Amino acid sequence: MRNRFGNLLWARINTGILPYLLILAHIGLGSALVYSAPRSNLAFLVLISSLFSLYILEADRRFKLIAGAVLALLIIPVIGVRNIFYLEVIFQISVFAALALGLNIVVGFAGLLDLGYVAFYAVGAYLWAFFGSQQYFVLPFAPGTQPSDLPFLLPGDAFYLFLFLAIIVAAITGILLGSPVLRLRGDYLAIVTLGFGEVIRVLANNLDKPLNITNGPQGITPIQRPTMPDWAVDGFNTLFGPAIGHRVETADMYNVLFYVLALAVILIIILVTRHLDDSKIGRAWTAIREDETAAIAMGIPLVRMKLAAFAVGASFAGVMGVLLAASRTFISPESFSFMQSIGVLAMVILGGSGSIAGVILGAAVVTLLNLQVLQGVSLYLSELRQSDAVIPLINFAWKDLSNQLDPAKYQRLLFGLILILMMIFRPAGLIPARRRMRTLAAEPPEAE
Amino acid sequence: MPPFAAVNIRELIRPIGQLLLFSLGSAGVLSALVLVLALILDQTAVGLHLHDRYNVSLATYTLVNLPQVVIDGLTIGFVYAAIALGYTMVYGVLEFINFAHSEIFAVGAFVGVELLIALDHTGLLRSASLGMAYAYLTLALLMGMAAAGALAVTVERVAYRPLRGAARLVPLISAIGVSFLLQDVIRLVEGLTTGQFNRIMPTFGNFDRRIMLGRLALGDTTVPLGISVKSIIVITAAVLMLAGLNYLVNATRMGKAIRAVAQDRATASLMGINVNRIISLTFLIGGLLGGAAGVLYALKFTRIDPFVGFFPGLKAFTAAVLGGIGNLTGALLGGIVLGMLETFAGSFLGVFTMGAAGSEYKDIFAFSILILVLVFRPQGLMGRHVGQKA
Amino acid sequence: MTLLETIDLVKSFGGLTAVNKVNFQVEPGRIVSIIGPNGAGKTTLFNTLTGIYRPDQGDIRFNGRSLAGLRPDRIAARGIARTFQNIRLFGGMTVIENILIGMHVHLSQSPLEALLRLPGFRREEREAEQRAMALMRTVGLVGVGNELAANLPYGAQRRLEIARALAAEPLLLLLDEPAAGMNPQETEEMTRLFRTIRDERGVTILLIEHDMRVVMNISERICVMDYGEKIAEGTPAEIRADARVIEAYLGRGAVAGQHEERWR
Repeated sequence: MRNRFGNLLWARINTGILPYLLILAHIGLGSALVYSAPRSNLAFLVLISSLFSLYILEADRRFKLIAGAVLALLIIPVIGVRNIFYLEVIFQISVFAALALGLNIVVGFAGLLDLGYVAFYAVGAYLWAFFGSQQYFVLPFAPGTQPSDLPFLLPGDAFYLFLFLAIIVAAITGILLGSPVLRLRGDYLAIVTLGFGEVIRVLANNLDKPLNITNGPQGITPIQRPTMPDWAVDGFNTLFGPAIGHRVETADMYNVLFYVLALAVILIIILVTRHLDDSKIGRAWTAIREDETAAIAMGIPLVRMKLAAFAVGASFAGVMGVLLAASRTFISPESFSFMQSIGVLAMVILGGSGSIAGVILGAAVVTLLNLQVLQGVSLYLSELRQSDAVIPLINFAWKDLSNQLDPAKYQRLLFGLILILMMIFRPAGLIPARRRMRTLAAEPPEAE
Repeated sequence: MPPFAAVNIRELIRPIGQLLLFSLGSAGVLSALVLVLALILDQTAVGLHLHDRYNVSLATYTLVNLPQVVIDGLTIGFVYAAIALGYTMVYGVLEFINFAHSEIFAVGAFVGVELLIALDHTGLLRSASLGMAYAYLTLALLMGMAAAGALAVTVERVAYRPLRGAARLVPLISAIGVSFLLQDVIRLVEGLTTGQFNRIMPTFGNFDRRIMLGRLALGDTTVPLGISVKSIIVITAAVLMLAGLNYLVNATRMGKAIRAVAQDRATASLMGINVNRIISLTFLIGGLLGGAAGVLYALKFTRIDPFVGFFPGLKAFTAAVLGGIGNLTGALLGGIVLGMLETFAGSFLGVFTMGAAGSEYKDIFAFSILILVLVFRPQGLMGRHVGQKA
Repeated sequence: MTLLETIDLVKSFGGLTAVNKVNFQVEPGRIVSIIGPNGAGKTTLFNTLTGIYRPDQGDIRFNGRSLAGLRPDRIAARGIARTFQNIRLFGGMTVIENILIGMHVHLSQSPLEALLRLPGFRREEREAEQRAMALMRTVGLVGVGNELAANLPYGAQRRLEIARALAAEPLLLLLDEPAAGMNPQETEEMTRLFRTIRDERGVTILLIEHDMRVVMNISERICVMDYGEKIAEGTPAEIRADARVIEAYLGRGAVAGQHEERWR
């Protein structure tokens, strides 16, 4: 809202009950659209974007919390179960939002450019993939040669324990990787972390011998999920059955479960991030980002604080790795490429590094662009290709178009453009980070 | 400076001497190292394992493979050195890692190879005499260099110059963006016409021939010792370029301006040097070298794809850091040492660990070196220590 | 007992010896100035004292213990705080936050307390905020607690840097040209502020300053450096009369006139 007119309009919108009505209308419209047209991407975007208006419009905090809870816990599960693809998209957004929030601690708060961030995600994923599958008994076998009747090492419900274990293991990995290199200047650090990311991927690809730990490029499967109690399925059906219109099976319930878990993890991450940001540690991180020399001269131990940032960021990724391994039941090194790291970085940069709402928005926008827009266009193009249509004017038959032109394959282009354009035109991101304003008493009591 | 300044012979010969020294030195040291290792491991399980399978002692095996490993290491080392010069020139002037340099290398490779493919389609290549074959290859090299050079200058103008003076990470992130963008642009352009995005270097001339240098007699086996024409071309071209660059930077007026800007941009500008032009020039030179390295890489490894720049780029950056970033001689040394180390690791790791860790770990090996250097000698082998300013 | 003592301190860069066998002492509770022409090694001495540079030879003793080889943050924790010649605030943080950074070593909150917002954490933060407000008043910053440090005018930034350093509750405060770029009235206020800090908080002050009015007015002892060496030390009156000091300042061609003028 740069100009006067915009400011005026914004103030007018945010008066009285108007923002409340707008929020409710947006949620209502989105829900109705998706409910009546469960396959429309546009309807889904309307619904998802209601989260944004919920964030940006000025309304009572309690109202926002309740509206958000209703949206997240009532509307989305119902609508998501009617079209599982939406739940999948939202789950992916949540996973990437958590990763982006973790990277945000490292890049946004402490100003350390980590280009190998998915390494920690991989650590979490492989942790549960190893212990939550038969892999322990596959150790002596080369990939593809193991007998088919091997038992599982741990029960599926150990998954919940591993959510916590992953925090610790990923944090330790972060400290181990970070301690030799966090003394380095920023741009060197970027290259070295990139190297680490590649090292983890190469290890995942090749640690199928001498002991078969990762099963190499084929990846590990099946990975167990926690058990789904019958009462949960029944309860969900009794509560939401009428709205959904058909009985929800256990398989679909898993989607709901992982969605809820991801949501819970994100809420915890947001809380942790906010609380840390507004404490001694968070201030030290920001100070390091602003001026390392001044920070150390004020008594801030640089390396220890940077390690803390690395560890916290890594632990977020570790948890999400466990969640991903369980939800997919399959893990392979492909999911942890350099491109993924850059994708998460693009989310942070697009949304606004250092800004919690920003990076969540960034994660949502990039994921939606990836899953909905690019793939939507791909689908459309492939339909055109199968038709006899011809591009007018240049008289080019669609079916002659190379299938290399599939937009879904051009994520790098997307990430690259985001990074360049944001750096040139809006380096602080879509929702720039703001410092917390304190309520400072005009005449504070004498302190000493 | 008078218009007909005498050609500074010393500056022409010095880098060639250095290259020779670095090559012989690293080859000698590494050969000695693996031989000692082989002799030590010969009597252990490692040696027995090899003996059981191939009926050859570890020492013999090592000795037999050594000459080829050295030649391969040198070839890849010179390619790394040529790319590393691009990183190091830009870093010396701007203190900035040109992350997109690896794609500039890739573009050079694609333009050169596409030109040769086009020539191949017309049938010119197959009917070419040996002299014409070399002329075509030279043309491909020049085209690749021109394209890469032009691209490097454009990228600087569009994506880096507007960000000069911003926080350190800002241009770096932009450069990462350019790198990613270019990968997909190459893929788009290449995929547009054929639906395939990788390209194969056409076979022509005598580049694939091996020149026999002799036979190595080892006990009851004789091993042929040869070098492919390709490798000779790569090494010769790289040496010429490196000598040329060294001359440009150290013995010409233009080079003096570049060095002045690298020392102190503000003062250089006050002295009447057009800083923007010098920076463009730096990117141009880096791009030219990168493009040539790309074509040479394609000649050596035949197959290229849009992501071909990633690993050589990373290795070359490692080489630049290893030698001391910002230091031209250091980049040569770093490239050669890294190429050698990597090839040695790739060739001998498998045998020495009884197959537990093979050549797939050679990239990790290179990164470990990068990390070790950065941790213990961040200024590199030839760099001077720069004190932190308060 | 002396608070700070350097013993044969040497720091060189390549062939240039920026600090050459410097011996000097600072008694607790004093205000001591280091003066000398540009390039005399004053700021290098500060950077060596605070651990940004490692001394090549010699020792630094502070409060009875050696500081040589310690990291800057450890030295800060021992009780030395500083300001910088070219102000180095955390520009993207608010004024209050800048001061809170200064308190870093004194805040005892653990990460767990911060995460759970335990009562101890809240109390400490509230108290820290109040101390920060009090410090703002001490240095004469009012009503700008929520401003970004980068948005403050120049003089206020200098004051904020001093407040940030004081927040660390140092035994010794190092000020690098605190009056640079200030008009006579601001300089006067600054001088008064330094006295207040010393008198009310008992903080020993070591400052580098070019403005001779400030130096002569406030210092109890002066140490003069030239070409990395200490060439004189004494009370302001002694320094004014020292032939070597006058030569160091006046024997220097073009800049001499300027210094001469400031001298009076």
